[in-house]
Amino acid sequence: MDATIEVRGLRKTYGSVVAVDELSFTVAPGQVTGFVGPNGAGKSTTMRMVLGLDAPDAGTALVGGRPYRDIPVPLTALGALLDAGAVHPGRRARDHLLWLAHYNGLPARRVDEVLELVGLATVARRRAGGFSLGMRQRLGIAAALLGDPPVLMFDEPVNGLDPEGIVWIRGLLRRLAGEGRAILVSSHLMGELEGTADHLVVIGRGRLIADTTVRELLAAASGDRVVLRTSDRSGAMSVLANAGATVAATDRDRVTVSGLPSEQVVALLTQQGLPFSEVAAHRASLEEAYMELTRDTVEFSGAGQEGER
Amino acid sequence: MTGRDGFTQVLRGELTKLVTVRSTVWCVLATIGLTVLLTTLATSVGSTNANEGPRFVDEFHFVHQPLTGDGTVTAHVVSQERSQEWAKAGIMIKAGAANGAPYAAIMVTPDHGVRLQSTFDTDISGNGGTVPRWLRLTRTGASVAGFESTDGNSWRQVGTVNVGALPASAEAGLFVSSPPKIETVKTNGGNETRGSATQGAAVFDNVSGTSLTPGRWTDDTVRPPGGDPLANEGRSAEEAGRFTVVGSGDVAGYGIASWQPPGNDDIVANSLGGVQVGLMAVVALGVLFGTSEFKTGTIRTTFAASPRRTRVLVAKALVLGGSVFLAGLFASVIAFLIGQRNMRRHGYEPPAYPYVSLTDGPALRAIIGSALFLAVLAVFSLGIGTIRRRTVGAIVVVLALVVVPQILAPVMSLNAEVWINRLTPVAGLAIQRTTERFDDAIAPWAGLAVLAAYAAVAFGFALWQLRKRDA
Repeated sequence: MDATIEVRGLRKTYGSVVAVDELSFTVAPGQVTGFVGPNGAGKSTTMRMVLGLDAPDAGTALVGGRPYRDIPVPLTALGALLDAGAVHPGRRARDHLLWLAHYNGLPARRVDEVLELVGLATVARRRAGGFSLGMRQRLGIAAALLGDPPVLMFDEPVNGLDPEGIVWIRGLLRRLAGEGRAILVSSHLMGELEGTADHLVVIGRGRLIADTTVRELLAAASGDRVVLRTSDRSGAMSVLANAGATVAATDRDRVTVSGLPSEQVVALLTQQGLPFSEVAAHRASLEEAYMELTRDTVEFSGAGQEGER
Repeated sequence: MTGRDGFTQVLRGELTKLVTVRSTVWCVLATIGLTVLLTTLATSVGSTNANEGPRFVDEFHFVHQPLTGDGTVTAHVVSQERSQEWAKAGIMIKAGAANGAPYAAIMVTPDHGVRLQSTFDTDISGNGGTVPRWLRLTRTGASVAGFESTDGNSWRQVGTVNVGALPASAEAGLFVSSPPKIETVKTNGGNETRGSATQGAAVFDNVSGTSLTPGRWTDDTVRPPGGDPLANEGRSAEEAGRFTVVGSGDVAGYGIASWQPPGNDDIVANSLGGVQVGLMAVVALGVLFGTSEFKTGTIRTTFAASPRRTRVLVAKALVLGGSVFLAGLFASVIAFLIGQRNMRRHGYEPPAYPYVSLTDGPALRAIIGSALFLAVLAVFSLGIGTIRRRTVGAIVVVLALVVVPQILAPVMSLNAEVWINRLTPVAGLAIQRTTERFDDAIAPWAGLAVLAAYAAVAFGFALWQLRKRDA
């Protein structure tokens, strides 16, 4: 079985609201695919349709080449963390994993293994109701890993984790991908995926915006801009503008130049005897690149909760 | 990693879910505790004096002659008025015409066939037929044999009874009785039993027997000292060997089917009365077992682990129903034993109340039936919980259907009460009944079937909805 998730032409509406619209992408094995979009973009809806929980209005979602509902022992094919809060508060952590293991005929020793793996072994006999959000995330990840599946899907796994937890989960995701598994991780913050994701699927308002590698996305967002620091800002700006560049003042002593390579900028300034202390090729952050992409598609401006369905 | 996801795995997973949450375990324990506790309390009060009341009734009209030593009496019952299902017309050999004197009699009844009865405690069934019928009694010492025939030629022996205290010179002849009609009506705050006398009549011919002399008949209306307002005076008339006998009352006692004992409490049902309180914990359990999945969101984890939703809900119902059945069976057995012991201490003893053991058919049916009632009610609650998805709302709906009718019914008219006990889920409690009462609304298994129908509809709708909706 191929370790993949294939989404083809997926569409889902709730009343008159189109949650997911003609969405297609593939999650390939051996890498971490970031699934990014603003709140309400349709990430969770897509994941629920992959799991067969919600029925799509159109399109298909296949896991390892077949619909989730047709997979014989589902937990051994796809592990998913959808909602860390979806645990009965009165049930002990170990018991939560135990019923899940029984459901797919998995041995009880596997429960202890995954508890150890996510660092919850010492609180295994505590009731989940007393868990912090971070501990619940770890419990949810343990549940996803229970069947040792080749495909994993995590919805906002970083939420609620402390810095140590964030470092841990990044390491875990890299390691799981390194083992050849296909990993889909959603986030509404692109920065969370920096250094973790190899591939990005960006959506906004249910539609695909970008399906690209991280490297390509950064290159496209960075453009050929040069950042210049100078004590004679107006002099530098007029010289460079006369040479055909587009110049913008970004700070008291800082200018962004586009249309001229950095070597030529240095040559021009030296020739005119203008002082400068720094000339650097601009490198966009993943967050900037993402803002650029989704500028028009932000569903809820301001501080929106993760209120998507 | 290899696993399995058959139905057995889902069952095991659901069982693990049930036993690993304190609230559900508490509900199971509360079911047992409430049932046993309430039965214990209810049977610790209340008593009966049924055994201090009369132990037999001896009221009828007797047309007789002396019969000395061994001998035979034969008569043909031509017709019998259908005054009561237990009206009796036949021949009798009795120590004397005094109330309570030992006797042996063979008779026809409108609804219960031919009977050979003696000494207020022995009752042998003959054929199921009615009039016209030939009857015969043959006395040999203390033993009296009863025969019946349809044509007067070929005779069938119904049985032989022993009447120890029958003197050498006894009285033999024709008798007719017809028990009073007892009606119970609802009054404000209780029931009132009213009786009225009925009058039976039968026609005999071909009356013959050892040493019987035509024209020497004596008429006696047998009555207790002081008489009985529920039995009229009898009479007889003879015309050319054809006798018309009119009589009122009954000849019966403990051991005879027509006997109306002074106490009619259902000691089996009473000892299982705690179930009516224990069921509240079952409703809470059934509802919670469904709604908690939606409230906590684990329903998605469940369906991710087993996308076959029908299988999941069926497994849930089986695990829930099975657990409640076992808890209910345990509670019912304990409640029954405690209840029987308590009631014996308060006068519920033979002969008015024969001892009932766990393994007696009706008691066993009531005990196992109580456990079934709770199990089916749990599945009904699960169905409503799955449909409503909100704990409080679902509990209110189920309790409104199960408890409110029980509170309202006693203050309504008898007719309304009967229909409530027939059409609401409470009908299932009929399975606990082991005696017949005037206000019986529905037969035991039919009552349980009413509840099962409620459960089936709720469960079916829940299933349909669960398959259709997004999780």
